[in-house]
Formats: sequence, C-alpha cells, structure tokens
Amino acid sequence: MTSSLIISLKVLAIDVPLLLIIGVTLGWILAKTEFRGKDLVDVLVILPIALPPSVLGLYLLMTLSHIPFVREAEILFSFPAAALAPLFPSLPIMIQAARSGFSSVDRQLEQAARTLGDSEFKIFWRITFPLSRLSIMAGLALASMRALGDFGVTLMIAGNIPGRTQTLPLFIYSNVEAMNFFEANIAALLLTAVGIISLLVVKKLEGKRIELS
Amino acid sequence: MNCLEARFSKNLSGFSLNVSIELGEEIAALFGPSGAGKSLTLRILAGLDRPKEGKIVLNGRVLYDSASSVFVKACQRRVGLVFQELALFPHMTALENVAYGIKGPNKWEIAKQWLDKVKLEGLYDRMPNQLSGGQRQRVALARALAPKPDLLLLDEPFSALDGPMRRALRRELKRLSLESRTPTLYVTHDIEDVCSLASKVFLIRDGTTLATIDVSKLWNPDTQESIWHSLGWGTLIRGKITEEDGNLYFKWDKGRLKVSCSRNLVGEASVFIHPNHVKLLYPDVPVAPELEANIMEGKVIEKIAINGSVRLYIKSSGIEWHAEYPGDSYLTLEIKDGQDVLFSIEPSKISVLSPCDNSVN
Repeated sequence: MTSSLIISLKVLAIDVPLLLIIGVTLGWILAKTEFRGKDLVDVLVILPIALPPSVLGLYLLMTLSHIPFVREAEILFSFPAAALAPLFPSLPIMIQAARSGFSSVDRQLEQAARTLGDSEFKIFWRITFPLSRLSIMAGLALASMRALGDFGVTLMIAGNIPGRTQTLPLFIYSNVEAMNFFEANIAALLLTAVGIISLLVVKKLEGKRIELS
Repeated sequence: MNCLEARFSKNLSGFSLNVSIELGEEIAALFGPSGAGKSLTLRILAGLDRPKEGKIVLNGRVLYDSASSVFVKACQRRVGLVFQELALFPHMTALENVAYGIKGPNKWEIAKQWLDKVKLEGLYDRMPNQLSGGQRQRVALARALAPKPDLLLLDEPFSALDGPMRRALRRELKRLSLESRTPTLYVTHDIEDVCSLASKVFLIRDGTTLATIDVSKLWNPDTQESIWHSLGWGTLIRGKITEEDGNLYFKWDKGRLKVSCSRNLVGEASVFIHPNHVKLLYPDVPVAPELEANIMEGKVIEKIAINGSVRLYIKSSGIEWHAEYPGDSYLTLEIKDGQDVLFSIEPSKISVLSPCDNSVN
C-alpha cells in the first residue's frame, strides 16, 4: 500500500499546481471575456463531468496514442500518464469554481480600480483574485479530492501497474479482486478521511466567503 | 476657461444619448429623471463606456475623438469617479482604499492626510463593513480625489444618506472640490442637491442635454418657465409660506400644503415636489400618519410606463402634479387615464426654495 500511497501523493503534487494554473486561467477567460464560440468551449470544458470515466479514458487513449511525441516518449501506461489522467475529470470542477468566483466579483470594483489608474493585470492581482480566492480554494480542495480518487481514466490510459501507475483507488480495486479486504479497507479509510477533511475545509471557506460578502 | 469639453452620442436599443457638456473649474450638476442617461454620461466621461461618436477634451488632452479614432483608456484618463454604490474594495481597510490610486513612496502619508481631510482620523484600519454609510461615502470621496484627478465625477453621491448626513456631506464635497480645484460633475435627481452645491446645472432628459443653466438664475421666472417646461418633470409651484397655529403652510391661489422648513423662509417662495414623493393612496386603507396632512383629490391626465417605472400626470388644485413609482406598485388601483385618485405628499419631502436659493444648508 505504501508505494500506491506515494504514487497518489506524487500525482497530487503534480496535479494541484496544474489544476490551479489551468483552472484559474480558463475560469477567468470564461467569466470575464466574450468571444465567438464561447458556448462551445463552455460545453467542452464541462463535458468530462458528464461522460463516464471509461468513455473519457477511451477518448484520451485514442487521441494520445496518435500523438507522435506521446508514443515515442512512451508516456501511456507509465507514471506521467497516471499523473495526467486525473486532471481531465477534475479540471471542470476547478474551472467552474474559479469561474463562479470571478463572476461573483462586483464589476464596479474592477471599474473603480480602472478609474484609479490600474492596468488589467494589476486589477486581477489586487482586486479580482483576492476577492475570489475563497471560491478558488474551495474548488481546488474539491478538484484535488476528485483527482486523488480517480479510477476510470487512470485505469484506461495508465493501467494498473503496481509500483508505477497503481494509485490508491486502483490498489483498493486490486485487493478487493484478490479478496484481500483488510488492506482494501485501510486504503478506503485513508481516502475517506482525506475526503472528510477536504469537505470540512470547503465548508469553512464557503462560510468565510458568505461572511465577507 | 473650460477644463472639460464633451460632445458625444451613443445609441442603445430604444435609447439614444446626445450629450453636450462644457465645464470649467467649478461644481456642476447633471440633473434629470431616472432613465435620462445621467449615469451612462458619467461612465462615458470616465472611459468605462465608449460613445458612438463625438469628442471629449479634458484640459487640452483629447480623451476621445471618433474622427481620429482616439480612445484613452479609463486607467489613463485621470478622471475620478465615485459610484452610486461607492464600490469600496471590501478586502481593504479605509487607508488601503484611499492609497489605492496614489503613486509614489509617500502614498501612505498622502492617504492618511486625505482621510484626515474627510474627518476620518483614527479610522484608518477599519474595513468598509465596519464603517457607517456616511463614513463609507467619505472614504469613496477621498479615494477618488487622492490621485489628484483632472475631473471628479460623482453618481448620485448622496442618494443613500438621510437629511443631516446629506447636508454635512454636501458641505464636505463643496469644500474638498474647491480646495483641490478639481472640476466636479455630479449626477442627481434631487433639486436640493443642485441648489445647495452646484454653480451650473445641465438638464438632461430622455438622453439629451436640454439646457445648461447658471444655478443662481434657476429660479428666475423667465428661466423657470423654459426649463421646467422643457424638463417636463417634477412639480414646481410658486406661492408663499405662511405660519398658522404654529404650523407652516405653502399656499397658492387654489390650494395649500403643509410643509416642514425653516421659519425664516416665510414669505414668497417656490416649492418643488419630486415625483417619487407624490404618493397615491388606497381609498379603503388607513393613511400613514406622515401623509395625513396633505391629502388631495385629482384626476389622472396621462399615464406613461417607461423603463420599468410609471409616470402619472395628475390634475388637482389648478396644478399638474407629476408622480413616478415602480411599475409593480399600486397594481390593485388599476390606474388609467381619466381616473380619479387620492394622493398625498409628506411635508418633510417638499423642497421649499426661496428665490435664488444657492446656499449650503
């Protein structure tokens, strides 16, 4: 179980910063800009939530296997694939949270900052981001939990290779299959505890957000 | 010499804005009813909205010119704007709010000086939600003035404040604006705000600036005639204030109203009644105590629904009264043209204006 736990933690260490950077960027674009085809982008961004993980995994497998670089670097069914896989089902959660956080910032505050001489970049860091950070942190906690618990997409593009791509959810699956319920229960308990802690953090952040508004 | 010269137009669905404003080193009001385009005018001057065509020049600097495709961004205009909802940054203290637009190493010192100027010494570390309405208003004013803008714009700056606070803030604004020699343009639909603060008033209605008037001449009979007729909004009556049994009444040839004003206004006077203060009464519902004094009967001459509001023109006591209320009010009265109605005005809501009243009260 230790190696699965380490792999899961390594996946989280890679995915959390990526979730934050990609989620905040796309969330800001969707909340604050208008462009042609925005509705389509909107649907594509949320689609991974609506698709069964096996279908999403299959699409990724088919797409990635046709990219020469991915093939040559043997990324599929290796640790990089295990790190990449959970991003797809968890990113929509992060993007939606960031988007709703940015949308909830009163436009007049940004306009006031504009009349006080700030550029758009400065307004983002001084007004928009600080005022939506609680939503973003809550979204990050939920998206991270979703990434930690990913099973279907990881199985489809990274496989279930102990010591290389076997994360905690895959470890549970393998142990249940082998009728080894004790180890499976321990791992399940660990994931449950992390889930409860994350939800408590989200609840606290939500409470603070309501208090501030 | 004019600091600001602005002429621009903008078309929105069902509404077109045509504005012409010339402003020197003075305080001026942009006065008109709801939906007249006042706030949009300020937003365009501040660079938050783009007009369709025209030219805006501030202190010789072209901020917008449709002919040469010039549009200076809001952040480069040096135009301060106090929003109606103030838009104080909720995650910053009063001091941080005021320091926001100040550049240079002494920004904190300058911000403190501004907070002192608006009488908020010692409240530097308060968050906006820990300040009263008047204090928040002062922070917003200090924040807009602190970066030394070339033009100060205020959108209904006193609308959320009650009488004494409103008067105190008017004095404050007048002092600060004149001290800093910043040309100031503020939006209002309250005639008291106009008379007590501005030296010049731009009248705007249905998106068009109709006239520019020196406030000292606002109540000259010749001016009144043309202005109030062209504005066609609000009820202005000329008559005199008398005192009877310790109460003050405004009388004209066909009627009288109980008023609440200073006793030194007894004599010739005019009153202005804001359309929102003309309250319709339900025939079978007890009247609120503050409305009991001035109950009148009248006939609806015309009913107009505009921008979610209803405007009524009511004939009573030889006067055409103007009333305005939200479209979802008084539905059960089923008001229509020609209908008899009961209405009243709270004495404290009647603006009593002595001739050429331009004092800060």
